[in-house]
Amino acid sequence: MGLIVVLLFAWMLVIAFLAFVACTFEDLESDIGSQSNPNSQVQLAAQVGQVHRFFNKAISGEPLSNALYCATAGTITWMLLQKLEPFVPDAPWKAAVLAIPVGVLGAAMVHLIFSTTAHCGRTVAQKRFEQPLYLDVLYGHLLPIATHGYMTTFCITTIAYIQSNLGTLSGNPALNHPFALPMLGFIWGITVGSIGSSTGDVHYGTEREFQDRPFGEGKRVIYHGKITRYAECGIRTQRDIAGFCAKFGGPVTGMTFGLIILFENWRNMVGMVLAGFLPDLPAFTPTGDMTAVISIVAGLLIIAALALGNLTFVRWVRKRCGPFVGE
Amino acid sequence: MEPTLMILILVLVVIGGLLASLGAHLLPVGGAPAAMGTATGIATGTVQIMLGAVMTGLFTASSVATLTNNLALVALSGAIGATIMISVVMLMANILYAFGCGVVPVSGRVPVDPITKEPQTPYKTPQTDGHGVPNVVFVSGMLGGFSGGLGGALMYYALLNYAHFSPNTAGIGAMSIFVPNAIIAAYNIRGTIEGFHDPKFKRLPFSLATSFVVSLLCGIVVVIAASVLGGVA
Repeated sequence: MGLIVVLLFAWMLVIAFLAFVACTFEDLESDIGSQSNPNSQVQLAAQVGQVHRFFNKAISGEPLSNALYCATAGTITWMLLQKLEPFVPDAPWKAAVLAIPVGVLGAAMVHLIFSTTAHCGRTVAQKRFEQPLYLDVLYGHLLPIATHGYMTTFCITTIAYIQSNLGTLSGNPALNHPFALPMLGFIWGITVGSIGSSTGDVHYGTEREFQDRPFGEGKRVIYHGKITRYAECGIRTQRDIAGFCAKFGGPVTGMTFGLIILFENWRNMVGMVLAGFLPDLPAFTPTGDMTAVISIVAGLLIIAALALGNLTFVRWVRKRCGPFVGE
Repeated sequence: MEPTLMILILVLVVIGGLLASLGAHLLPVGGAPAAMGTATGIATGTVQIMLGAVMTGLFTASSVATLTNNLALVALSGAIGATIMISVVMLMANILYAFGCGVVPVSGRVPVDPITKEPQTPYKTPQTDGHGVPNVVFVSGMLGGFSGGLGGALMYYALLNYAHFSPNTAGIGAMSIFVPNAIIAAYNIRGTIEGFHDPKFKRLPFSLATSFVVSLLCGIVVVIAASVLGGVA
């Protein structure tokens, strides 16, 4: 097996690991800021007489807000790379060491501005329900939101940098992804937000927001808005929630994105290796077609395994828990 | 530009738009209620999960488009990429529902799972519309991901190889045509949908008709950009 295959495989694993970290922090960031779907309950709480100390940051849907941060970071990074790379022509990656953190810092600033305006705007709009704007809640949550968001955007921008330079880093520039760095940042920003919204928020919305309701049942409509306002000690804020969700919801969400990135890259790698596409890269030939065919077949096998896994899991969990026994 | 190419671009963009609309109706969208375990499906909005899946498919399709110029292979690669994304999300969401919230996957719209024939009603929490991703919903979601990914990749291929856009512009263009189609579907669904077995699925023809018109207009804009305006770099 050639060096290029080993390097491609190694970069694939690095990307999958970064994806795991990115999505874990994305979920925790949305929990701290109460963004996305469970936010509806925070919004509703004051209206049903439940005054609370939750941070209420519904900037937009998670995919779009994350795409905004990642595309901002990607654009600043890309511009800095254009300026810095000529200074280190022998090792252009050195420019990335400075460009990526600075680019992500710019995105974190945008994130903080949106968080502040979203929380203040939403909370003061609930004045008629006597919901105060607690300044300590505002100040206390901004730093955790910015740091968690920074981790997500940093990992996504790094993934975009690696993918847009994958060939150069592995030894053959023809393998670089055709999309530019900001475009890749936008794509993965949408995807990471989409996964964080659809997977991780369930742990916060179903369990942590309603922890004083029975475990083991869907939350009934009658409970809506009546969120758990008291913590293990004192009044609950989202800083308590991040610690709880980091034990299960965050890592499961991270694993979802990590697995998707791993499967997608792995099946393409398998196609390239088995069809003999590497190391000569004969694109637009029967070998290129065969690479695509093998990666499609590998993808179909993965989908079949996932469907079978869900079938088995649903059967197991229904048998284990049994029918609903409450009232 | 040759008239044949113009028609081909229009046809592919319209087919892509229709598939996007169909895919959005097949996806199990639970929205905010699903995040509380009050409704079946994926706990996010129609456009958001559709975009997430299709972006993954678009990434794969753009990679494959550098290896081969076969339309079917590029389109299928995008479709498989989107299906993998949505399948992993649904499986992991079920794991989270079961172990994090103690909720059994159950459909709120049908008393018996049409595929596995498992009873649903005895497992459902009262005052909810189901929870989690049961098997029939999983299958519908897979088909939705496949359809959406196929549509996105078809549009990308048309813009890249027939309209001769650069890969970045073709990607942005395909996404820009995809988003309005997904939004039209979201308006048509109005809230939550479980998939092909949901009564709301019967509203599909209205969405398809609107998508046809919107995609046709988008296709005409692409043809104008590629021919009259002299192409897009």
